[in-house]
Amino acid sequence: MQPLPNFQYLEPETIHEAAKLLMDSGTQSMVISGGTDMLPSMRQGIFSPDVVISLQAIPHLRDVEWDDTEGLKIGPLATLRSLETNAEILQHFPVIAEAAHAVGSPQLREMATVGGNICLDTRCYYYNQSENWQACDQECLKLGGETCKAAPSGRAKKCFAVFSADLAPVLVALDARITLLSARGERHVDLREFYTGDGAAPHVKAPDEILTSVLVPKQMAGIFGVYQKYRIRNSIDYPIAGVALTLRLNGPDKSAKKLVKDVCLVISGVASKPLVVKKIPPLLNGKALDDALIEEAALLAKKAALPLANTGGERAHRKQMIYEFTKKAFEQAINNGSQIS
Amino acid sequence: MKQPLSLHINDEIHELNLAPNKTLLEVLREELDLTGTKEVCLLGSCGACTVLVDNRPMLSCATLAVACKDKKITTIEGVKDGNDLHPLQQSFVEKGAVQCGYCTPGMILSGKALLDENPNPTKAEAAEAIAGNLCRCTGYAQIIDAIVSAPEIADSKSTKTQHETLAGTLDSGPYLMPETGE
Repeated sequence: MQPLPNFQYLEPETIHEAAKLLMDSGTQSMVISGGTDMLPSMRQGIFSPDVVISLQAIPHLRDVEWDDTEGLKIGPLATLRSLETNAEILQHFPVIAEAAHAVGSPQLREMATVGGNICLDTRCYYYNQSENWQACDQECLKLGGETCKAAPSGRAKKCFAVFSADLAPVLVALDARITLLSARGERHVDLREFYTGDGAAPHVKAPDEILTSVLVPKQMAGIFGVYQKYRIRNSIDYPIAGVALTLRLNGPDKSAKKLVKDVCLVISGVASKPLVVKKIPPLLNGKALDDALIEEAALLAKKAALPLANTGGERAHRKQMIYEFTKKAFEQAINNGSQIS
Repeated sequence: MKQPLSLHINDEIHELNLAPNKTLLEVLREELDLTGTKEVCLLGSCGACTVLVDNRPMLSCATLAVACKDKKITTIEGVKDGNDLHPLQQSFVEKGAVQCGYCTPGMILSGKALLDENPNPTKAEAAEAIAGNLCRCTGYAQIIDAIVSAPEIADSKSTKTQHETLAGTLDSGPYLMPETGE
């Protein structure tokens, strides 16, 4: 067995201690939470930190609680499994439970955390490979090479590795905000602004920052949400096309046609970030959904998707699945229309 | 650099001296000779290395041993009920749910975690519970059958034991016990 590289393991008991250790140990240190992505990547030589800082001994980082003034607060170490069954989540944001359930396998959901899902590294056929495999050719851009091998030209100076989380696109659609803490201080970032779209540096978290909390604002509670996922093996794989939709359908009374409000569509697995389809809200807000509008929205989502041949599935097929899932998501919203306001 | 670590595995405390880069899988197989837990993909995809950590199924290949110091670990070696097989193990034998056997320990631990939480699962629930365990012999139908039949075996076993006690026999029962050499 290819062993994990050597490292020093630290288990601080407060978040401030963790931030200080992270700063003091420099750029060759990494924070570990569930480890489901990090340890396999370390075994492949993709990450080789000198220092691994675990957050598991810090109290309350697993907590999920509802706050009447702010909304849903999720600790970064809450496991995906704990979200699936959490009563507050099922009451206020059932789509979070749905998306958490769509991730990986039962074992992975027992281990994997919200923080890890949000900070998930991008993936690519040319990147997530063993050292021997990588040694057969020049390094790809994300591994320190000159060009992106996944780009259609094979010579791009931008990395096109895929962002393939299921929960993160739903949290983006729900307008979640995260807190990043370092020894330099604390800052809040809208999750939508957290992702860069650059496969080589997918998010704006600095190496010395730790994600300490996720807030889903109270105003979003009760919004309709749905997550659709396409993957090679339904039991375990990453999404190769994912669609997260949130919206409200409001009508003056029960008999009137319901009008769309606060719509947000985010696609995953088809770009280097969870991609917000920006043309959807101006198209749909204030209008009553009908087949022609849904068709137009699905075509917009399909057009926004830019899948490359660097993960499972065929490109045109994945684009078509974004179209199909977008239609299906809106149809679900209409079918649920009688229960939402 | 090695550090002292005590691990609680199958109701025994093991005092070890380990480098922090050792996974739980490596420690089980290489330090403790608990080779029932299998090593296959090492990438978190196959489920062959599944163990129970605080009664929940997790992947020992993607778990650092040092991170398990206050946790209760159960491997396939710790599943049996005294000298008897666990009803789920018995059910695997009776339903022919074992072919090459490599996925079996992981399947049984995933199945056990389900049964501990939900004593009478449906076939769909059983299939979902083993969704993270690959069987390349593809004998899933028998495995699912074995999981949903385990409660019946547990019932008949407890009735049998009562009956035998009343009858004053100490027969170990009709089960196919492996030769332990003890």
